[in-house]
Amino acid sequence: MFIAPYFAFAKKSFLGRSAYRFEHFMSILNTCLQIFIFAGIYIALYNGRSEVDGITISMVSTNFVLSMGLKAVFCVDDYFLPSKVWDGSIANEFLRPVSFRGRMLAENMGNAAFNVIFHFLPALIISAVVIGIYPPENIVMLLLFLLSAILGYGVLWGISFAVQAAAFWAINIWSLSTLKDVFVNVLSGTMIPLWFMPEWLYEALKLTPFPYIYFTPVQIYLGQLSYRQILQQCGIQLVWIWLIYLLGTLLWKKGQKKLVVQGG
Amino acid sequence: MISFENVSKFVLSDISIYVPEGKTVGLIGASGAGKTTFIKLACGLLSPESGTVRTIGLQPEKERKQLGKMLGILFTDISALKMDDTVAGNFELMQKVYGINKEKFRADYKDLSERLGFAAFENQMVKNLSLGQRRRSEIGAAFVSRPKLLLLDEPTVGLDENAKQVFYELLKEREKEGVTVVFTSHDMAEVSKVCGRIALIDEGRIRYYGEEEQLRKKFAPINKILLEFSDKIPDLEDLPVVRYVVNDNRLCIEYNDNYVTAAEVINLIMQQSEVKEVKMRKPDLGDIIIQLKKKGTEKWEVL
Repeated sequence: MFIAPYFAFAKKSFLGRSAYRFEHFMSILNTCLQIFIFAGIYIALYNGRSEVDGITISMVSTNFVLSMGLKAVFCVDDYFLPSKVWDGSIANEFLRPVSFRGRMLAENMGNAAFNVIFHFLPALIISAVVIGIYPPENIVMLLLFLLSAILGYGVLWGISFAVQAAAFWAINIWSLSTLKDVFVNVLSGTMIPLWFMPEWLYEALKLTPFPYIYFTPVQIYLGQLSYRQILQQCGIQLVWIWLIYLLGTLLWKKGQKKLVVQGG
Repeated sequence: MISFENVSKFVLSDISIYVPEGKTVGLIGASGAGKTTFIKLACGLLSPESGTVRTIGLQPEKERKQLGKMLGILFTDISALKMDDTVAGNFELMQKVYGINKEKFRADYKDLSERLGFAAFENQMVKNLSLGQRRRSEIGAAFVSRPKLLLLDEPTVGLDENAKQVFYELLKEREKEGVTVVFTSHDMAEVSKVCGRIALIDEGRIRYYGEEEQLRKKFAPINKILLEFSDKIPDLEDLPVVRYVVNDNRLCIEYNDNYVTAAEVINLIMQQSEVKEVKMRKPDLGDIIIQLKKKGTEKWEVL
């Protein structure tokens, strides 16, 4: 009973996506093109060398295929909450006997499930055939990769929620959302694999949530981390989820307070 | 069911009111009088600047989710439906969200969709519906969860006459089942037709709260009876009327409702003459309010 409404939101979101077939095919094409372009750039930069600083071109390609694929799955709509705040329909959401955040997450998970099956897997297969990627180190690593990817999704979703909650105070969150996208794209290893970052920057990035979104799962997939390190990294992912959740809760409560005091 | 004690918020100033369970209360007032603020305070979308609000025994602002389970709400400018889903899809989701028994839900959905007429377009996206179609669906959505309390902010805006009649019927049915209803309206005739009690809000204050009949007795007790006779006009000397006008075989009588009833007046006349036709006229609720406004706020303060 408790989970039924959220499952219904997720299902509705999943089925809703299947109605837009053209958009769906274009998304697969878009992801494949991005992977091919980035992989092409790095193949050109490698200039025939098999590895640079111990990083092979296959590792780079695998990083792109997985992180771009995950990016396609973790497609969070930064304007979901803001649009409801701005048009006033958030009022109805406040009065529903379900958690609004839970509903948002459920809808987004429905989307993500659709993206895994109809977006990530086709793009992964096409890219694997055309570019070639490393297979997972072993089945345990594959499962741990999936676990870490789910936690990475939690980190990204939490950041997106905090950005969206800014809509209670801002009349436009475009700049904030764009800033978030830039940070996520550049600092999480989707555009530039973090192996190529200067050591000091890489160490500094570890203090931010960004590497734990895409880069940690990729490292696990490639078998670059020991089981102890994996446990540690997943623990850090959980801490980030918790911290960002607290921030989101604070903003959400303050935002609600603002609406009930000032009206909206 | 709803109690406001010395509540102030925005335009509303120090209002106290109690809406008992099972009553239908119409909130009347000009634009900006504070009707929507009242509704938002009652459901917890606004917190009072001072005073206390209780709805179904809960503090609405703090216990909004619990209240939401027992509440059916409709706003004028905010749709309760997801725009990018079909009407039927929205209702399916409501069944899950409110945890309504499937059989009961199907029966209620069938009844509401057929009576309000949204069965005809239940598979259309909400965003593609006309205002009237959307409004009918939204009313259905407010009723389908079988709430204990209905808070309706100008619910008949955009509805055609047929849909309005169905809406009034639904309200009457729910009232018989013990549902409490508070709805705002500019349409005095509508409020007069549906509501057991009315609350007049003017400049942020509740100027009158009670039954319409009492309002009439206090501020507009003069009613009219129009009679047409087959034969002679009766002797009117001893009739307890305020004034009368004779025109051929027609008679217009004005009487004070506080001292004599229409039945008593008619009985006295019928003892003397044969009456062909009787028409009774009470002042329109809207006219009473306009007259009171014209007389100024001093008159209001008596209430």
